[in-house]
Amino acid sequence: MILIIGGAYQGKRAFARETFSLTEDDIFTCTDRGIDFGCRCVDRLEEYVFACVQDGIDPLAVFEADHAAWADSILICRDISCGVVPLSAQERAWRNETGRLCQYLAARADRVSRLFCGLEQRLK
Amino acid sequence: MKIFLSGGAKNGKSALAQELAVRLAAGGKRYYVATMIPVDEEDRLRIRRHVADREGLGFETLEQGRDLPACLELADPAAAFLLDSLTALMMNEMFHDGQVDREAGERCIRDLTAFLNTVENAVVVSDSIYSDAGRYDEITELYRRALAALDCAAAELCDTAAELTAGQITIYKGELPQ
Repeated sequence: MILIIGGAYQGKRAFARETFSLTEDDIFTCTDRGIDFGCRCVDRLEEYVFACVQDGIDPLAVFEADHAAWADSILICRDISCGVVPLSAQERAWRNETGRLCQYLAARADRVSRLFCGLEQRLK
Repeated sequence: MKIFLSGGAKNGKSALAQELAVRLAAGGKRYYVATMIPVDEEDRLRIRRHVADREGLGFETLEQGRDLPACLELADPAAAFLLDSLTALMMNEMFHDGQVDREAGERCIRDLTAFLNTVENAVVVSDSIYSDAGRYDEITELYRRALAALDCAAAELCDTAAELTAGQITIYKGELPQ
């Protein structure tokens, strides 16, 4: 599994497309709790986490329960860890759960790349 | 040589940018492209601090809050230019006269490209505002997306791209002048 992280609009998806020769059809974009791991790449994991938080589901537990589903995936998640602690409890939970999931995935990834202004920083 | 510097607020970007611009000028002409258009006393205080910081460094100030290439009309393109910052430039281009200009993003990229293709030496400063957990309104996202695209263009056009964290430098591309 490969994990690509970075702030908003830093070129994570374009980096994935170019580096791993993906087309848009290879990329699943999360908008809710549904993920199609049949796609080689899953983008916007933070939106998956947000939907989990809204529905009272532990996203990390979902990933832990089915390693095989994402073991060969390219996963993209926005870094939302900086900035002021959000005032709303839901956004705090979103930030916390996204951070927990990224740590879990990064620890198991073969490669972790962080994107900064379109440029890669290899973290692992 | 052209250098792009970004990072969070108060991490030493402006001080390093000044130092690098002086190095790039190699004793020659250097310009400070001032992008902030002050609207209140807080802005004016910030500007006074920046002016005091660069006192004695030999910069000539070019006030250019919008329309970046216009600053080159009277400037020597062989000099070193310090452009601080893309953040303020995009703010001024996108929001003025009580309007939201949705063309500002594309225009800023064209202007910056023209600017960087004309000058020989430049240090370009921006701000990383992309890693918080805010869920913003459409206008704020428009601004964040446009600034990020401008940052990406700057990083691509420059020889060197680096991030400042607590005054420490992470280089993503190229190298810094000795």
